[in-house]
Amino acid sequence: MRTPALKTAPTSPAAQEPDEFDKLYRDHVDLIYRYAHRLCGETESAKDLVQETFLNAYRGLKDFRGEARVSTWLYTIASRACIRMRRKRKGEPQHELSLEDFVPTSEGEFRLQIPVDGLSPEEALQNKELRQALDQAIDKLPKKYRMALVLRDMEGLTAKEVGTIMGLNERAVKSRLHRARLFVRRELSARGITNHDGHPSEGLRS
Amino acid sequence: MTKKKTATTKKGSTPSSHRHTAGQGHCVDLLRQLSAFIDDELPSDICREIRKHLGACPNCEIFIASLRQTVILCRHRPVPPLKASDRVAMRRAILGEANAK
Repeated sequence: MRTPALKTAPTSPAAQEPDEFDKLYRDHVDLIYRYAHRLCGETESAKDLVQETFLNAYRGLKDFRGEARVSTWLYTIASRACIRMRRKRKGEPQHELSLEDFVPTSEGEFRLQIPVDGLSPEEALQNKELRQALDQAIDKLPKKYRMALVLRDMEGLTAKEVGTIMGLNERAVKSRLHRARLFVRRELSARGITNHDGHPSEGLRS
Repeated sequence: MTKKKTATTKKGSTPSSHRHTAGQGHCVDLLRQLSAFIDDELPSDICREIRKHLGACPNCEIFIASLRQTVILCRHRPVPPLKASDRVAMRRAILGEANAK
């Protein structure tokens, strides 16, 4: 979803913030919730992130000059808040994904497939195991890779927009995106996922 | 199969130089560029070269198909909608916190 930039900066914060904030919230809360849910993988953390994002947006509204789209500004606030929140909660180590790790080392590994042939993506994702495998694969991604994947492949932003949000150049965005995709592909294809009839999917077991 | 590190395929390299062995040489080069290829971000001559390689290398063809499927599944990953009651409760909490200080 694209939203136009606010044309003018608020000149009287005390008077204008509540109305401006209400409009901002009303117009963008679903977008930011969807982004937050995709980043966090579950509802409660997503709601925490939405609240943190809009609280920061409320406080920063008077300084927003409309140089970026409102949605880009909110994505940026949400992304920074996500990094802060996760760091605080888990102290999770951030490891790098090396391309070398994704080079198949056997014929079988090269030929692993994901069982979606003949199905639309929506139909394929009705398979609970596949959906869970996808969720788990994305959740296992180090957050800087997950963020690039979510913004580019799920939110549908351009690499340039993702770069603006993450504070990276396009090349770095593309590099992270590629590694993230390879990681998810490997996680999905390496699992034994059964078809709707309960039999193992062909191509997953070589 | 070796995890051989090779230079990225350069513009002007000949398709005939491809070796069609899993995990080696140009298969590894190709793996580095697959996302750019899927996203249609590579120069046309490199795309042509890659397509030629894919036509002759079943392993790479299958690999790229599974990577494409991965991207498609990510694009369609469902998200539960925000409940109206949560929307209201969060707004109240945000404004409460903002006005508390």
